[in-house]
Amino acid sequence: MATRTTESTDSTATAAAGIRIRMYRVGFGDFFLMSVPAADGTMAHILVDCGVHAHDLGVIGGAVEQMKADTGGKLALVIMTHRHADHISGFASASDVFQTFAVERVWMSWFEDPKDKQALKIQAGIAATAAHLQAALALRAAPGDDEYLRMAGNALGVSKGGGNAGALVMLHGFKTAEGGPTPVDYYAAGDTPTLPASLAAAGLEADILGPPRDLNLVAQMDNAAHQYLTSGAANDDGPAELFSPAYAVRSFPWPKDDQPIFTPQEIENRVIASQPDALAAAAQKADNALNNQSVVVLFTFRDKTLLFSGDAQWGNWANFLFGGAIGTPGHTDLTDRSRQVLGNLDFYKVGHHGSTNATPMDVVKAMKAGCVAMCSTDPGAYGNPLKGTEVPRTPLLAALTAKTGNQLARSDQVPVGSVPATAGLAAVAAPFKSETPGTIDYWI
Amino acid sequence: MTADATVEPGQAAPPPADSAPPALDIYAPSLKIPKPQWRPLKAFAYDPSRGRRLGNCMSIAIRYEKLSPGPVGDRFAVVDYDGAQKTYYAPVNLDDPAILIQGGLDPSEVDPRFHQQMVYAVASETLERFEAALGRRVHWRHAVDADGRQITGRKDRLLLHPHAMREANAFYSPDVHGILFGYFRASKTDPGQNLPGQTVFTCLSHDIVAHETTHAIVDGIRAYFMEPTNVDVAAFHEAFADLAALFRHFSHRETLIDTLQKTGGKLYALHLKTASSATPDEEAADKGKTGAQIQADIAEANPLIGLANQFGEASGMHGSLRSALGTPPNSKDIETVTEPHDRGSILVAAVFDAYFSVYLARATPLLRIYRSGGRDSDDLPTALAELLAREASRTAEMFFTVCARALDYCPPVDITFGDFLRALITADRDFYPDDTDGVRDALMQAFRLRGIVAEDAAYFSEGSLCWPEIEAGTLPVYGLLFGDPNGLLPDEQKHNGDLLRAWAAKNAHILGFKDGIEIEVPSFHPMFRVAQDGTLKVEMVVELIQTHPDEQADGIGGGPLPLRSGVTLIIGQPSIRGRKRNDPYVRYAIAKKLDAPREQRLRTTLAASEIAKQDASGRITIDFRLIHGGA
Repeated sequence: MATRTTESTDSTATAAAGIRIRMYRVGFGDFFLMSVPAADGTMAHILVDCGVHAHDLGVIGGAVEQMKADTGGKLALVIMTHRHADHISGFASASDVFQTFAVERVWMSWFEDPKDKQALKIQAGIAATAAHLQAALALRAAPGDDEYLRMAGNALGVSKGGGNAGALVMLHGFKTAEGGPTPVDYYAAGDTPTLPASLAAAGLEADILGPPRDLNLVAQMDNAAHQYLTSGAANDDGPAELFSPAYAVRSFPWPKDDQPIFTPQEIENRVIASQPDALAAAAQKADNALNNQSVVVLFTFRDKTLLFSGDAQWGNWANFLFGGAIGTPGHTDLTDRSRQVLGNLDFYKVGHHGSTNATPMDVVKAMKAGCVAMCSTDPGAYGNPLKGTEVPRTPLLAALTAKTGNQLARSDQVPVGSVPATAGLAAVAAPFKSETPGTIDYWI
Repeated sequence: MTADATVEPGQAAPPPADSAPPALDIYAPSLKIPKPQWRPLKAFAYDPSRGRRLGNCMSIAIRYEKLSPGPVGDRFAVVDYDGAQKTYYAPVNLDDPAILIQGGLDPSEVDPRFHQQMVYAVASETLERFEAALGRRVHWRHAVDADGRQITGRKDRLLLHPHAMREANAFYSPDVHGILFGYFRASKTDPGQNLPGQTVFTCLSHDIVAHETTHAIVDGIRAYFMEPTNVDVAAFHEAFADLAALFRHFSHRETLIDTLQKTGGKLYALHLKTASSATPDEEAADKGKTGAQIQADIAEANPLIGLANQFGEASGMHGSLRSALGTPPNSKDIETVTEPHDRGSILVAAVFDAYFSVYLARATPLLRIYRSGGRDSDDLPTALAELLAREASRTAEMFFTVCARALDYCPPVDITFGDFLRALITADRDFYPDDTDGVRDALMQAFRLRGIVAEDAAYFSEGSLCWPEIEAGTLPVYGLLFGDPNGLLPDEQKHNGDLLRAWAAKNAHILGFKDGIEIEVPSFHPMFRVAQDGTLKVEMVVELIQTHPDEQADGIGGGPLPLRSGVTLIIGQPSIRGRKRNDPYVRYAIAKKLDAPREQRLRTTLAASEIAKQDASGRITIDFRLIHGGA
């Protein structure tokens, strides 16, 4: 398979034995195209997310044009894993191109179902939290807030093309080849998805592994978003003058000859170090809540399996791995099904750009040795290596590199436009190829 | 051991033989005024939102000690430093005669000195209740410096900061070696009983102060109890602290009598009866059906079973025990609810279900006598309410004591609700072998209804749930010193520490530890408690911990992940037989072993935990800031 030399821009290329997964480098964001040999000898295409937010390299417009050439403007299936800008912004910023596409079907998570009142409420709550945070953070303008602003912005989307709202309009407004509206499906873990006719005919199968319906499992999402909204709102109206100034004194009168546990200076420092950063915490909570909504899809094609996990975090994974909240009765060990799925996995789209919270250790451990992985990422957008929160997380990528037998591709391994590859990364090597600038392919 | 071989450790050297007895008339009346036993201090029984309503201003009698301005005493130092405004507030001098003669400052929201007094009073009261129940002095966790080294040789007080930060939060923090109380503006849109935008002080909530102090006490008692190694750990700590705060409500006579009269004796009713209605909960249900309503008609929530009401209303959050008792128990929640407060409220509801059942069993004869005359009114006469209040408060005291003592019967790491149930049942049986009021039955039923089971107990019966008792004499610990109720001297502590480490190493295999890895003895506490039959029970509770550095997984702050196994020992003081004392012997060994499935679970849970943090000394604990933002 690695010897294939098909011209990648030819959508009518004769169907080969395998599937191609193409990763477009756009910055810190997901943009994947999976192409399946169809029954009629052509390739049928599945688009999984198209967005960039932090570290936008300014190339997503060109990448969408490239993808149009790659697919001939025909997509069998569009999967939107979750509504973060770094997964959907392209649908807004390049909506003029997307409007020319013919799309057979669109899949989203049940959180996007406009008929689901609970889902609507949750999404409205998260958007309100994020908008509130964005305003509050902008007002505060403290050093180091960039990252939290990005998190809030990620939940809302950038203004170009109408932000995430604009992208959602596009995603709900595709047309089929016949010109009718493209059907949109909303899935939760365990649902049996409806494949577009071309993919079903090609022999592709799909299982939906996430997100769970149980909101307790989607890690306190509703709760977190709403709680922090209220406490944030309660906090933001300027410093209160607590007591009459008459009560203020400069120092504390420790008893003489006493040996207090800390000096007054130490006490002050420790109290000051404990001051809250409610805005930062709220931004992180809102960010995690959306990630956990990710649709997780397992594709099977001629006994090869491919897992696209979006940005699923712990609660979403736990449902799949343990069948429920870990540690609760009956959910203390991997289920047979998750063991079997991971133990036979051939391809893994690394969750959440290689962040530490999106690929549990159990997953790496249970994964088949030699499984191939692809990770779209760009260092330095989020987290801090000193705190062990950097994205991508070094030890996780090291563990994945070991497990995959050095078959882990990163989007920032290739240059795109005028942006060079990230320094220190190896060039793209087998089993991956980079035939079209700014993309990495894997043939399975 | 001391250098002088003739003096046993812990014994004072005898006075020199040649000193003459002092001239002393011990039969003459002493002119010295005896040191007072108690210091009365005023505090809110609930929080300022209940205003001067009956029973909201209470006087707390705490053990008398001399205080410096702060107040700074032996166990607590209130240091009123505001980290948001970077200023101190004038410290109260509770030894000022003008304050002493009033029994403390009157409740006031605008005077920070009352806040300092209330924090000191409620924290001291909570500590005293625990020390009485546990039968020993509680020590705080050692403070550590920036490099993770223990700070020693200083006066060890827990620091209380009543206005530490501008945040709707209050939490115990080992980093500051104390408790940080926040203040915040009440919600402008949903302020509950507060004025929109008014400042709410968490330090003025009796429940919050008691809750946070409980966290500090538990953290001092057990070294690794707060590592969130399974879904129950954080929930357990929240539940336990809530239980300690809630049971205090039932010690307050005025509110208790008032509530009894307004609920017709049904202490667990969700609402109080209004001036015009007969049954409180029906009234609440009927709300909306009636026409005009006046203030006196609005059914008020039962304050006894509410927690930190002002805080909850002001920040727009409600719930806890009220909602836990308000929904029928089901065994499904335990499988799906993981948020620490929600999960914790399952445990709180189970314990309170048992409490109210026992209270009802005790109250029923009194109510029968009252109704036997043909009266079926819910308007209880004051004398009856007083008797019922006595039962309610006696039962609450007993439940709190059993809960506190159960701490000593928990495994030292990785606690689950099931473990706590076993600890409760064992502790209760140890102290009240005759279960005349059916306390243990009530507990077992209440836990069973909520699906809380003990993992490795074969049956849901008392005999099966009690930790297995080791036959006396089977596992002796030679030479252990029990000291006296005042505690152990430094020499005695060193003697016991060395002895227990050597003993544990020798018996590692029997105890279920792995060979070749050091066994730590983070704590050993002699306990002096009075049993049901009036005898003094002298025992020692010992923690043994073995830490396996895990090479497979990262710790939270880098370095290997610590995987721990542990055993809690309850060691009995020997009796005297003939002319010699028998050897101390292990009565219970309550273990969490490290087997492959548990190892894997620890790895996964710790790594996924959003509420864990690791301090400079490598200990992983619950970050209470993250949890309490909602509590």
